[in-house]
Amino acid sequence: MSTREITVTVNGRKRTAHVEVRRTLADFLREDLGLTATHLGCEHGVCGACTVVVDGHTERSCTQLAVQADGREITTVEGLAAADGTLHPVQQALRDNHSFQCGFCTPGFVMSIYGMCEEKKAGRPVPCSREEIREELSGNICRCTGYQSIVDGAEAALAGAGTDTTGGQA
Amino acid sequence: MKPPVFEYVSPASLDDAIAALSAPDAGDVKVLAGGQSFVPLLSLRLAQPSLVVDINRIDELATITEEGGVLTIGSLVRQRQAEHSDVVKKACPLMAEAIPFIGHTAIRNRGTIGGSIAHADPAAELPTVAACLDAELVARGPGGERTIPAAEFFTGFFTTALAEDEILTAVRVRAAGPATGAAYEEVARRHGDFAMVGVGAQVRLDGDVVAEARIALSGVDIAPVRASKAEAALTGRTVDDSVLEEAAQAAVAALSPSSDLHGSAAYRKHVAGVLIRKTVATAAARARENR
Amino acid sequence: MAGGSAISGLVGASVHRKEDRTILTGTGRYIDDVQERGMLHCHFLRSSVAHGRIVSIDASAAREVEGVVRVFTGADMSAITEDLSFAQPIPGLNSPSYPAIAHDVVRFVGEPVALVVAESRYIAEDAAGLIEIDIDPLDPVMSTTAGLAEGAPELFGEVVPGNVVHTDEQLFGDIEAAFSQADHVVEQSLDQHRWACNPMETRGGVATYETGSGQLTYEASTQTTHTLRFLLAGWIRHPIHQFRVTANNIGGGFGLKFSAYREDVAVCAAAKAIGGAVKWVEDRNEHLVAAGSAREEQLTLQAAVKADGTLLGLRVTMKLDAGAYPINPPATVYAGLVRTTLPGPYKLPAYQFRHHIVATNKASYISLRGPWAVETLVRERLMDKIAETCGISPVEVRTRNLITLDDQPTKMITNVTLEHVTAAETFQKLVEMVDLDEIRREQEAARKEGRLLGFGVGTFIEPAPGTQEFWAAVGFPFGSEPCRIRIEIDGKVTAFTPQTPHGQSHETTLSQLIADELGVGFDDIRIVYGDTDATPFSMLGTGGSRAATMASGAVVYGSRELRKRVLEIATHILEASVDDLDIADGVVSVKGAPGASVPMAQIAMGCWLAPDQMPPGTNTEMEFVANYDGEGGGFSQASHACWIEVDQDTGKIEIKRFLVVEDCGKMINPAVVEGQVIGGIAMGVGGMLLEHSAYSDDGQYLTATFMDYLMPSAPELPEIEIEHLEFESDKVVGSRGVGEGGTVLAPAALLNAIDDALAQVGRPRVTETPITPTRMLELLGVIEKE
Ligand SMILES: Cc1cc2nc3c(=O)[nH]c(=O)nc-3n(C[C@H](O)[C@H](O)[C@H](O)COP(=O)(O)OP(=O)(O)OC[C@H]3O[C@@H](n4cnc5c(N)ncnc54)[C@H](O)[C@@H]3O)c2cc1C
Ligand code: FES
Ligand code: FES
Repeated sequence: MSTREITVTVNGRKRTAHVEVRRTLADFLREDLGLTATHLGCEHGVCGACTVVVDGHTERSCTQLAVQADGREITTVEGLAAADGTLHPVQQALRDNHSFQCGFCTPGFVMSIYGMCEEKKAGRPVPCSREEIREELSGNICRCTGYQSIVDGAEAALAGAGTDTTGGQA
Repeated sequence: MKPPVFEYVSPASLDDAIAALSAPDAGDVKVLAGGQSFVPLLSLRLAQPSLVVDINRIDELATITEEGGVLTIGSLVRQRQAEHSDVVKKACPLMAEAIPFIGHTAIRNRGTIGGSIAHADPAAELPTVAACLDAELVARGPGGERTIPAAEFFTGFFTTALAEDEILTAVRVRAAGPATGAAYEEVARRHGDFAMVGVGAQVRLDGDVVAEARIALSGVDIAPVRASKAEAALTGRTVDDSVLEEAAQAAVAALSPSSDLHGSAAYRKHVAGVLIRKTVATAAARARENR
Repeated sequence: MAGGSAISGLVGASVHRKEDRTILTGTGRYIDDVQERGMLHCHFLRSSVAHGRIVSIDASAAREVEGVVRVFTGADMSAITEDLSFAQPIPGLNSPSYPAIAHDVVRFVGEPVALVVAESRYIAEDAAGLIEIDIDPLDPVMSTTAGLAEGAPELFGEVVPGNVVHTDEQLFGDIEAAFSQADHVVEQSLDQHRWACNPMETRGGVATYETGSGQLTYEASTQTTHTLRFLLAGWIRHPIHQFRVTANNIGGGFGLKFSAYREDVAVCAAAKAIGGAVKWVEDRNEHLVAAGSAREEQLTLQAAVKADGTLLGLRVTMKLDAGAYPINPPATVYAGLVRTTLPGPYKLPAYQFRHHIVATNKASYISLRGPWAVETLVRERLMDKIAETCGISPVEVRTRNLITLDDQPTKMITNVTLEHVTAAETFQKLVEMVDLDEIRREQEAARKEGRLLGFGVGTFIEPAPGTQEFWAAVGFPFGSEPCRIRIEIDGKVTAFTPQTPHGQSHETTLSQLIADELGVGFDDIRIVYGDTDATPFSMLGTGGSRAATMASGAVVYGSRELRKRVLEIATHILEASVDDLDIADGVVSVKGAPGASVPMAQIAMGCWLAPDQMPPGTNTEMEFVANYDGEGGGFSQASHACWIEVDQDTGKIEIKRFLVVEDCGKMINPAVVEGQVIGGIAMGVGGMLLEHSAYSDDGQYLTATFMDYLMPSAPELPEIEIEHLEFESDKVVGSRGVGEGGTVLAPAALLNAIDDALAQVGRPRVTETPITPTRMLELLGVIEKE
């Protein structure tokens, strides 16, 4: 069994661990670090439930190996809300819009929408119309909602992104 | 659905990577690039390599350069990076047009240009772009570097001319000049899915006349297909509805796609014709604008 | 909104969900999040052969793998478990029992043939790859037609003769007379494909056996903890009083998680045999292949109608492809549901319904959100065909036949009383919101530009929860619903419901009801679910769109009883009569006398700590189990309209607009209602256009990943407009379920729109689903059918 030592910064905290080289990043986060917010809906890259932000970009955590995250910086849903429990503006916008039902897909959507908001803050082009938001969210599958409420939430989150300075850390 | 046991190296240089690939006792070695196709294959245990050579730390493979009318895209350039690169947009508009059809943002943030081409999915966009533009695919192995023309690179269903100990290092295309326009269109079941049929077209005009037409299709054969009959039908002509129809028919007649759950052979042939007409018309219009 | 203070009138408001903080911060506990001490991991080896006899199985190499704790073959498992049996005293039902892990015959691709328990899922999968199994293939039966054919291979020999699980014919009214009086006989058929629930969280469970106490706990991703418990206890030979089933966050179910499965049996038995905690979480590949699929039915209909479109009689034949193994509920329930519901909200004087349920070499036929949905699909399409035959509009044909409020109470031909059913009123409202003439003009104009537009409508009633009579006709019990409510020592409230919510927002809606009824703050209420040690028994859990009526009724009655007790005590303390008292924000006060009040916390503390010091003659029990009988039950209803554009070049269908007029009675939380409606429609649309649990002729499963099983994503779905009617009956609880209806009705409106588009270019109707782009171009005559 081939293992390696890796050091990954997760939600601002440096974590060092020995991992088997075949272990996926998702399993490392969930099982080794106990960060179970990142969900696994397909384990083959399609559903987006495992989406995390790696070095500033949204990526699947089921289609990369934990060893590949060595030296990188990762944000998961656990890293969004403030320490006192105040929701990140993205989370708040989704809450206000009753975006979700069972919640299984939710962390993936939160991270995808957070990623879009970060792109907007960085001055990169982001979707504007509801149709564009739908296309941008096509990599996340939700079985419960039919997406309309998620698009509502994403629209609100994007409208707010970059306009306030108080938003959560991470 | 978990990856099988394998050994793993992540060299920081190309030479080390090639050394790992060509080590005599290496066994079944596989290159890992963006992992967007390869890791799912591992998890489904459809791939069970003994050694995985991760090339993600080889920074020299992650550059985009244009020099002397030739655009060189390193194989490790992320699809998303190329999609938003001004150099790519200008020198290879067909690629910039095609990339947004690949999966979703999070896939393109990680998936690489070279990985898609080396994977050689016959429904994929980038192999089709490479075939369309007669790209040169630069490979490096223990015996040094060689350049493989796209026409010889895609040898079949998920198979290429790369040797097992070779790494695809770059894609080279002639930069698009003036009076050139490109268009990429595809029909997929859902947004972001692999195409049932995709068509890339690039047209260069001389006045109103087509000086050069390049058309390639995905999803209609075991590898990307050049529509050479259609290209011939267009060359030297002014693009109008009847010429488009003639070209489309010529192309479609030469196709023999197979059927699957997502689209029948008849469907693919029909849509190939539709998309050829559409992309060539758009490419020609864009070429006119670029005169 | 919704802070700690009681705001009267929470019911009816789109209150923020209680569930959201947990799910948005990722702090929920879904089944794969469970990590018990020393927990082991399961992986099932599954058959790659559709039908065959197991000649040999050799797991010795797998047992040698480091980290493997135990490998169970079928024989090993059968030594410690009973076969699963869903047999019921239903005349003519041939329900084979079957082992948790196959040991003699395999009957579908994906059937478990061995279970590996190891220190990690990775290792379990490594070891499974080393198990050698030799299966002698038999001819597979891959359709109902093949299964019923003369000389077809029999899956279960004499247990299911001729592969017929059940067959029946029922007659209502004088069907011969109806057809003899008919001006037209209109025929229609539909062959619906298999598609699946595919909750984003697959099946799974963690079984923990405490060797000292003999206590077994199964934490599962289930819709029904109590049923799972009593079914499993027998099969794993475990005393039920030593067995607890729990559920926490559940990532969707849609009907799938209503049954107990052989994997549950194997996992619980393995935990007992090994003595510890064992986790099984189905991966998506397993889920698609083995969890079962739904909706594979073929129906033919013949309607006797008068020249003006009035329905006289209906003959229906249904074949249902049950797959290989029965699950809960028995397949006769599905047939009964289709039969009983099919006449819908229409006047129908005569009716004949015949069904054949056929065993095939596929994964089980399972419940999917409105499992009876095909009745609405075929009926609403038939109405359109009748309209065409009689030369009237789709609106006219429905208006002529619909049962209005004025007609009620009345009986459906299937002996179900309809009362307060407003399908006709929702349809009327829909028609008012739509200009049919304008739509026809637009279609004509579009055709001139070479574009093809289609428009379709549909209406239906949904047994949500249905009535006693309804369920008697179906052949399934209509149980009452309990809820235990407790005013805690500090005046806050805990309610224990047998519901097992998995997205339906019961923590929110039940809290809204309690807050209003009891006068306590929304945040001062907790809903406990998913624990057989804590919640009162119900067979149903969350399913059948019952909660809006039944669970609501239980908490309303429970809250009222406790309120009565609190007020009774307060009359003594405050020296005022009950009528003069009010409870708000957890404080009982005398109306109009600001100073005269007593906190509920004080009363509760007295009742819990010193009941003997409370006013004599008062009831000091601060906990009460209410049972709600549904007050006769009822139906919800809706009408849908769907506008599409067909791309004649690519066969792709775009839904341009989708309009819903729905009536689920009093809405507790409109945002929750809309979420259910829209989510339901999304599923129906996905099922018709994208999703397919496909098999090859030799029984291989073709759509085993999400690359091939196409779940609808955001761009494939329309924006949905909803209009609510909220008819209020004279019942105490006027809320009706709304969870399934979208999935039931949307396919009908969509297919009617597609048929409408086809008709405009002189093409025949759809007879087979799904409507893929290829099929659409075939229907349009653009390409040849293969
Ligand atoms: C949900 C989803 C949707 C997708 N949709 C599309 C789509 O619509 N169109 C599309 O084209 N793709 C799609 N993809 C695949 C994606 O584009 C992949 O990025 C691409 O196919 C492979 O690139 P990669 O860098 O990820 O390579 P990897 O997955 O790392 O490798 C793929 C294969 O190529 C080999 N390889 C990679 N790089 C090299 C190299 N430099 N030299 C030699 N061999 C190499 C590997 O050994 C492996 O066999 C999708 C993927 C997912 C998960
Ligand atoms: S779990 Fe990673 S994309 Fe589905
Ligand atoms: S909320 Fe259930 S899958 Fe999205």
